Amino acid sequence: MEPAEALRILDEELENGRALAAAAADLAALDRAQTAALGRKSRYSQVQKSLGGLAPDDRRSVGKRANEVREELDAALDARRAELQAVAESGLLAADRVDVSLPGRRRPLGSLHPLTITEYAIVDVFTRMGFRVAEGPEIETDWYNFTALNIPPDHPARSMKDSLFVDVEGHPDLLLRTETSAVQIHTMEEQQPPVYIVSPGRVYRRETLDATHSAVFHQIEGLAVDEGITFADLKGTLEAFAKALFGPDQRVRFSPSYFPFVEPGAQVDVSCFKCAGTGCRTCGNGWIEMLGAGMVHPAVLENVGYDPERYTGFAFGMGLERVAMIRYGIPDIRLFFEGDVRFLEQFVSAG
Amino acid sequence: MKVVLSWLREFCPTDLPADELAEALTAVGVKVEEILRPWDGLSGVVVAEVLEVADHPDSDKLCVTRVRTTNGEATVVAGVRNMEAGDLVPYAPPGSRVPLLPDPLEVRSLRGVESEGMLCSPRELNVADVHTGIMVLPSDSPLGADVGERFGLADAVLDIEIEPNRPDLMSVIGVAREASAVTGVPLTIPDAGVSEGEEPATDVARVEVVDLERCPYYLARVIRGVGLGESPVTAQARLTAAGMRPISNVVDATNYILLEVGHPLHPFDLSLLDGASIIVRRAEEGEELTTLDGVIRSLTGEDLLIADRSRGVAVAGVMGSAAAEVSQATTDVLLESAYFQPGGILRTARRLGLSTEASMRFERGADPEAVAFAAGRAAHLIAEWSGGTVLAGAAEAGSVSPRRHVSVRPQRASAVLGTGELTGPEVGRRLASVGFVVQDRDDVVDAEVPSFRVDVQCEIDLIEEIVRVDRGYERIGATLPEVRQPGGMPPPYAFRRRLRELLVRQGLAEVRSLSFASAADLDLMGDPPDRAIRLANPLSAEEGSLRTRLTPGLLRALQHNQARNVLTARVFEVGTVFRAGAPVDEVEKVGFAITGPASHGWSDPDRELDFFDARGIVEVVLEGLGVRDWTLGEPAPMPFHPGRSATVTVAGRHAGLVGELHPRVAADWDLSGRVAIAVLAVEALRSGVDPDVAYAEVPRFPPARRDLAFIVREDVPAGDLRSALLDAGGEVTGSVELFDVFAGGPIPEGKRNLAFSVDFRVPDRTLTDDEVDEAVARIATRLAADFGAELRG
Repeated sequence: MEPAEALRILDEELENGRALAAAAADLAALDRAQTAALGRKSRYSQVQKSLGGLAPDDRRSVGKRANEVREELDAALDARRAELQAVAESGLLAADRVDVSLPGRRRPLGSLHPLTITEYAIVDVFTRMGFRVAEGPEIETDWYNFTALNIPPDHPARSMKDSLFVDVEGHPDLLLRTETSAVQIHTMEEQQPPVYIVSPGRVYRRETLDATHSAVFHQIEGLAVDEGITFADLKGTLEAFAKALFGPDQRVRFSPSYFPFVEPGAQVDVSCFKCAGTGCRTCGNGWIEMLGAGMVHPAVLENVGYDPERYTGFAFGMGLERVAMIRYGIPDIRLFFEGDVRFLEQFVSAG
Repeated sequence: MKVVLSWLREFCPTDLPADELAEALTAVGVKVEEILRPWDGLSGVVVAEVLEVADHPDSDKLCVTRVRTTNGEATVVAGVRNMEAGDLVPYAPPGSRVPLLPDPLEVRSLRGVESEGMLCSPRELNVADVHTGIMVLPSDSPLGADVGERFGLADAVLDIEIEPNRPDLMSVIGVAREASAVTGVPLTIPDAGVSEGEEPATDVARVEVVDLERCPYYLARVIRGVGLGESPVTAQARLTAAGMRPISNVVDATNYILLEVGHPLHPFDLSLLDGASIIVRRAEEGEELTTLDGVIRSLTGEDLLIADRSRGVAVAGVMGSAAAEVSQATTDVLLESAYFQPGGILRTARRLGLSTEASMRFERGADPEAVAFAAGRAAHLIAEWSGGTVLAGAAEAGSVSPRRHVSVRPQRASAVLGTGELTGPEVGRRLASVGFVVQDRDDVVDAEVPSFRVDVQCEIDLIEEIVRVDRGYERIGATLPEVRQPGGMPPPYAFRRRLRELLVRQGLAEVRSLSFASAADLDLMGDPPDRAIRLANPLSAEEGSLRTRLTPGLLRALQHNQARNVLTARVFEVGTVFRAGAPVDEVEKVGFAITGPASHGWSDPDRELDFFDARGIVEVVLEGLGVRDWTLGEPAPMPFHPGRSATVTVAGRHAGLVGELHPRVAADWDLSGRVAIAVLAVEALRSGVDPDVAYAEVPRFPPARRDLAFIVREDVPAGDLRSALLDAGGEVTGSVELFDVFAGGPIPEGKRNLAFSVDFRVPDRTLTDDEVDEAVARIATRLAADFGAELRG
């Protein structure tokens, strides 16, 4: 082959190859174009094979040109391949497309009961303040439920709450506890001061179920007995509690009230968190009645063998249902006990 | 206790408006729950004289009256005709208002007769709950006078919550005392004001107290020549506003004093008392008496009785009997005023199931010094309202106990309250403001306790008084105690929290069921009645016992959801069950119940929650707790499915069960579809926890994974096959997962195919094919020998 002929063919094949690459409609066509342009039977290969028969100078110049053409064709083919691959991929992706607005595959979330959530929130506030959780039985004796708490047999406070008694032969003094306060007595009988406990639990009253009453409900109660405990400590502790549970702007209000096992006794209101204490439908006058509290009555300390001259203490208690109803705006106490999952699932994110 | 404010102002003439007074009283512990205003909207009603009552031309029921006021005459149509010409009546002319009507009165045509306003019944004026006739006013009422002003139908009523330690607040004067303390307006209590005749009461009546312990003091006044009739309008209105029904002048007078002074009184018809005698004694065992509510009461030797010479006439301090009741025929009244020992009254009232205005006061503690005062004041009112004469003096027995003295150390008060140092004079000043007679020194203040303050018995009671008055609660500062211990939770409480958390992670919603069980619940669970703790005074038969199990409560929750078309429900509960023991066992249980479609929507295959979902939850929860040693055993008894249930053993102890509800029981409970349940004893789980958590090296070399499928008889438990496989494979056998179970098709009748994916590995290198083949061969040989299992090629 003449060098001039070879160079002409190379130029023609460069043009041809570029045209074929450009014309390839898919990756298979591009493979065919590559074979046609650069394959063993291609005119380009014929030129390469003919190089051996050329004079050294011609071989150098034609060879150089052949390499240039090959690089250019490779580049053209690669570029086209990238284009075609992109097209093919987008086709595959398009075919794989889903409707992202369809709902995801969910696993059920599960939820704690709102009373449990409320109990934990309260317990956590007090354990961080150094209180320990204490628990006691739900069936109590008269001593723990009443007498030791300064409610002797003929005390008028006994008729205030209608107790549920259990019918166990030979044990007429057994009843379902009406307050978690009985745990105070158990704890103090078992240990010496200092006592800092918080006791959540189930309590019972002989009440017919309606929107605001249930024979079964829950309380949480706190007790601190130590040297030098004062009413001011009670106020500070409950103020700290209210701020921790309901927010830093909470205020609390103490007014005189009566519980046989504390004196001075107090009713504790917290400022309404709905209206920030200005008065609304939830609270009426800006305050929500939340706790009963007071200084442990000296008779109670004497009943457990503590010296009331040396030790003083405070106690407080609240109804979990009431706190939960206020926190979440639950209108009817029966909702807590029906097990309706549409109710329960509303508290998955509650804390 | 409802306190009519105009009445209170007679004793404490404060001009504070109702809401401000209520706020001030509440701040010192006299809790005003509500301010009622029964006479709001009463205006312009005047005293009018009836001139004529004529038939209505066009109605049988209505009548047409002519009335006269100082403004002239008017025609008024009325619906009743109890009034007669000459009567004085409350007349509401056009433009006036009555409390019960929303709008002012107008001239209105009633069946063709123009009616200029209306005549009022007692109910329309909130004087008494009587609506059967027009109210006829006393004949000395000035014509044209404003009815509201004339009869005190004004001002608010405070509804006060009474704590059981403060019976002294169950009276107008008691609340007036507190009002005086908070406002600084002096208390003005008149003396009884009784004017007596010459005849001494002791000439006509005798009083004997046999049981001076239960009745330390008894006093009887006698009023002769009474004429029963209505009591004054103002008194009726006040009784009504306080929640009592006006009855007659004599009875109303005693009730009026009950409300005003707080001391219960009882009037007897003197002529009906045998021997004109009162004998205060214990009842005979079984002695009967018909109380004023018409119920025959059988008394015991514990009950105190007011008797005459032949019979009981009242259950002391609780309720009178019909035997000596005052009536229209009564002319002479013996008026009882006594002090009864509180405990005795409480026990009798409780045993009889009677709670009366009298018993509520006596059982909390009456004021012994009020006995004579209340009797004198009531005798005076009876005489004034009924025209009788009060005899001189009183027949009495026993005596008034002296006042208590209690002392308080100001330094102790400061220490308990956490206030700055309180001085003796300051403590004395505060106590004196609420009626204590004090002698103060710096180290100790002696206080003579007023007789009405039964609640003040010891030093701490005085400390409460010191902080209660002067809004002391608000003025104490707020500090935090120095707690010298870390807070925390005992292990059982923390364990329960962990348990709940794991169940929630499994997608279960926590429920809390009531703790009661019916006979049907016990029967369902196969518990004999004597295993349960019965309630002595249940609210209903459905709540006759305490629950012995969690299962019925869980089923009720599922039922509640299914009945509302919520088909998928997954619920759990952690709670106490109760069983007869020594004497009572309280056992803590955790249980869950699941039912309904397992699918979560469009992309999941349809499937029903069943035994394996429940078992899976049990497995994962036990794993999460660290309970490793557990097994399933025999099927659980009723109400569980015999072929889809098993008992659960943890660390060798029976711990509970997992299983589906028996289909027959499900049908009885109207539960459709499968219901899977597990109930476990919390303590059994807790004691089965392996607390050690230690790092084990994560495998560095890949395992050789082989899928081994065995054809084996259907009745060979997969669990047994798996255990044998692990055992035979030896220590090179890592994880074993059962990934397929099927029968039918190419599998011979009576057999099934169990396919396991088994990872073989050693820690320090990759196993060779030969080593794996060897292990597989060991497994195949063993399973063939033990179970006739055939390894598929």
